[in-house]
Parts: sequence; structure tokens; C-alpha cells
Amino acid sequence: MSLSFLKKVHQLLLKTEVGLLVSLLLMMIIIAIIQIVMRNFMGAGLIWAESLLRITVLWLALLGAMVASRHSEHIAIDVLVNKLPETLKRWIVRLSRLTTSGICFVIAWYSLKFVIDEYQYGGIAFGFVPNWFCEAIIPVSLGIIAIRYLISALLLDGLNEGEK
Amino acid sequence: MITLLVILIILMGFLGVPLFAMILAATMLGFYTAEVDFTIIAVELYRLAGTPMLIALPLFAFVGYILSESNTSERLLRLTRVFFGWMPTGLAIVSLVICAVFTAFTGASGITIVALGALLLPALIKDGYEEKFSLGLVTTSGSLGLLLPPSIPLILYGIIVQQMNLGQKFTLPELFMAGLLPAILMILMLALWAAWNTRGIKLEKTSFSLNEAIAAVKEAAWELPLPLFVGIGIFGGYLAISEVAAVTALYIMIVEVFIYKEIKINGLVKVVTESMKMVGGILLILGVSMAFTNYLVDAEVPIHLFEWVKSNVDSKLTFLILLNIFLLILGAILDIFSALVIMVPLIVPIALNYGVHPLHLGVIFLANMQIGYFTPPVGMNLFIASYRFKKPITEIYHASIPFMLILMVAVLVITYVPWLSLWFVDNG
Repeated sequence: MSLSFLKKVHQLLLKTEVGLLVSLLLMMIIIAIIQIVMRNFMGAGLIWAESLLRITVLWLALLGAMVASRHSEHIAIDVLVNKLPETLKRWIVRLSRLTTSGICFVIAWYSLKFVIDEYQYGGIAFGFVPNWFCEAIIPVSLGIIAIRYLISALLLDGLNEGEK
Repeated sequence: MITLLVILIILMGFLGVPLFAMILAATMLGFYTAEVDFTIIAVELYRLAGTPMLIALPLFAFVGYILSESNTSERLLRLTRVFFGWMPTGLAIVSLVICAVFTAFTGASGITIVALGALLLPALIKDGYEEKFSLGLVTTSGSLGLLLPPSIPLILYGIIVQQMNLGQKFTLPELFMAGLLPAILMILMLALWAAWNTRGIKLEKTSFSLNEAIAAVKEAAWELPLPLFVGIGIFGGYLAISEVAAVTALYIMIVEVFIYKEIKINGLVKVVTESMKMVGGILLILGVSMAFTNYLVDAEVPIHLFEWVKSNVDSKLTFLILLNIFLLILGAILDIFSALVIMVPLIVPIALNYGVHPLHLGVIFLANMQIGYFTPPVGMNLFIASYRFKKPITEIYHASIPFMLILMVAVLVITYVPWLSLWFVDNG
């Protein structure tokens, strides 16, 4: 595996994240409006729409959380850290990102177990979409958040962006 | 050993570990001691997909971000200036009203100060208001409007309480109703302060001009129906909140992208990404907190907490005073969303036992948080204002303290006159 190949994979991931965010949000708006129209003018609705919308919220949230972890933008109490002297601050930031990464890896692992269990159990969320597929975003997103925090602990990027 | 780990987790938080990870660590520790398999945390996270009310949240967040990316703030200022600018201390009142409306839509993310404050501050100073007063006014107004629909913190409070299965139920429209009078009270008190503060000063006034009024209305014609529309949508009872949110999102997207053409398609992608980053951050914390709360309930922590509070606090009045102090401090150190998600599940059961209505509690909670935004030394809006207006932070402290005191009086009134929040509830 060459470095440029990895770069391409990474680019693809970035595009997929944003592409999914935009299309899911637009889909959500359109389906909600179709629901209103159908209910008020045809006296019926799409039975699967409600479940689809609820699961879309989960996906949007976790995809958004993934994107926020690109530059370690998750809500944190950083007042104290920003007051530390530069050298100490660098090590504290490394340590806290490493810890975050570790925690996310553990949860990603247990979520994966949960998804595998659900796959074997085989429930249906709505239409023909199985439960495990809807839940799969949990281990995927936490895994990617874990990897991103690991990398940002090593590279120590965006250190002074939190001071805006 | 356990105590040591708990201290370690809290320390982690103060050293900059994101809150969601900190809560996850606490949850793991809890379930580990209770010998429960960690897969339960994934099950709890999946509950984010089981809460219908949540659908409104990403949609309203998206609406807020679109509005703040386009020139809505300029049109809003021009419009309100025509209609209120001729009144005594008109511009101060204009500032308060438009900041409140803008914050209700954009959810006090500091956008109000960045987008509107930058327009208002020079305008106020030019009209003859003192600089210190103007700075304080603009900084304070950055979180005004949290109690007005469709404010995201208010929706979040409703969601958290709803999924707690309490005896006393309420709907989101009721929660929005509860916030109306307290929000108006705050605006009124600040307006009176503005009038009192500027009594000796000769201020410029904009005289009313019909031509300007027509031009301003025309310019904002597409956005003008928005508050009305959201209001009717929410209180009219024809649509669910999530449906109001979807219609609003579609409408405002079409208006800003195709009619005003202030947001390009590329810009729209950026707006979606930014707003979903915020939603993701909040909902991840909400999801892990639901897991943590689940553990706490299993371990009977809320009951013990209540008994401890009960043995130390004997009356509803003392409880409310302590609650106010606690929330003020909390609001200054924690951002509003984290504070809501973490503290509401613990505070609501206790408050209910003291006979505080959950609607009233929500209003008290948010009113305190609103002040926390600009409470020295660490209120977030103080830093945003200092950064935006290029003023030393101490100058911002001095400027906003009088406003903080006034709003504290407002919070006391809101707390001890439940009628303001509950006038529409039967035997509230």
C-alpha cells in the first residue's frame, strides 16, 4: 500500500461523510413533507416513514460527530488547558486525545458485538431494512472517531484553534 | 479504588477530554462495577433512533445556520429600525428584539454576537449611546431569546424530560408557551434599563419614513413570515413540531438559495456540514448521557441524591434559591447543551418532589443558563464579544455586569412567580 493510495481512501471517506450528511438531511426534509401532504390530502401516510426519519436522526448525529472529530472539535472544557504553558499543554493535549481515542475504541468494539448479535437475531427495522444495518453506524462512527483522535494525538494538529 | 477512578475521570474532563468521552468513561466504570456487559451502551446509543421529537433538532439547527450564513441579520436590522427606531431609546429596543428573535432561531451559538453584534455596536455608538453601555447590551443580547420558540435548548429540555417517563407530562408547544412571558419580561426589564441609562444623553433618532418602511418590508418580504409561520405551525396544532421544522427548512433553503441567492450550492454543503457537526456533538453527548443516566437509575443515585437534598433543604423556597445559585455556576462553566443533558435527569425528579412543575423548571433552568453565557470569568459570549469587537476581556466584564444583575432580578421574578410560566396550565 502506497501513501497516495491511503490518501485517496481518505479523500473518499471525507467525501462520503459529507455526501451522506447532505443527502440524508435533504431526504429527511422531503420525506417529512411528503408525509404532511399525504396525511392531509389523501388521508394516508407512508408507514415506514416515521421509522426511517428516526433512524436518519441517529445517522446524521453520528456522521456529524465523525466530521466534528476531524479537527477535535467536540465539546470539551478547555479553559484550564488553554492557560497552561505551551510545552505542558502539548503533552496534556496528547494525553487527553489518546484517552479519548482509547475510550472510543472500547465502545466501538462492544457496539460491533451488539451489531453482530442483532445480525444473527435478524429483526427488521422498516420495509426490508434490517435492524443491524441501521445500528451499524454506531461501531463505524465510534471506530473512525477513535482513529481520528489517535492520529490527532500523534500529529497534535489544531492546537490553538480552540481559543477563538 | 473506585473513588480514585471517579476522581481520575473528573480530572480528565478538566484536562480537555471531550465531555462525551468523559461520560462514556464514567458509564463504563459504572457498568463495570455493576457487572453489566458494555454492549448495553450501544443499545442505549441506539435509543437516539427511538425518540420522535429528536427529528426537529437537526432541521431547526440547519435553519439557524442558513439564516446566519445569509444576510438575514442586515435585513432584520433595517426592518426593525424603521418601525422602532423613532421611539425613545429606539435602537436599544431594536437591538434587544432582533437579537432575541435571531437567537431563538440560531440557538445562542454565539452567532448573534458575531453576525448582529457587529452591525449593532457601531450603530448604537453612532446614535450617541455610551460605548460601555453598548458593549454590554450587545454581549448580553447574544443569549437573549433562548426561551423563545424554536430555540434548540428548549426543544432539548423537552426531549430529555419526555423520555424520563415522569408522572407530569407536557408537550413541546406547552413548553414554548411557558417560555413566552419570561422572555418578554427579560426584554422589558432590559429595555427599561436602557431608557434609564440613557436619560441624560441626547440620542439620534431615526424618524419614521414611509418609503424606507416599504423598501425594508419589500427587501425582507420572504423572511418576514418566518416567525409568524413557525408560531402558527407550533401553536396551531395542525402539524407536529418535526413537520414544522421540515417545512421551515425547505422554505428557508429555497428562499436563501434561489430567491436571495446568498448561499451557493457549495455554501449549502458547508452549512449542512457545520450544522450537523453541532447536532452530532450535542446528540452524541445526549446518547451517552442516556446510558449514564440508565446506570445511575439502576444504582438508585437519584433517590439517594433526593434524600440527601431533602435532609438538608426543608422548603421549596430554599430549594429554588439553591437551585438558582447552582445553575448560575453551572451555566458559567459548562455549555448549555452539556449542562442540560447531564443535569436535567438528576434535577427534575428532585424538583418534582418539591412541587416544582417541570415546565417551570425548564424555564428556570434556561433562564439561568442564559445568564451563564456572560458570567465572568468564563462565560462563552464574553470571549466571543472580546474577540469580535477587539476589546480586552476585562472591559467586556465591566460592561456586562449591570445587565447581568438585571437579568438575575428577572430570574428571581421568574422563579418565585410560577404564574409567568404556568398561566395556561390548569391549577398550575
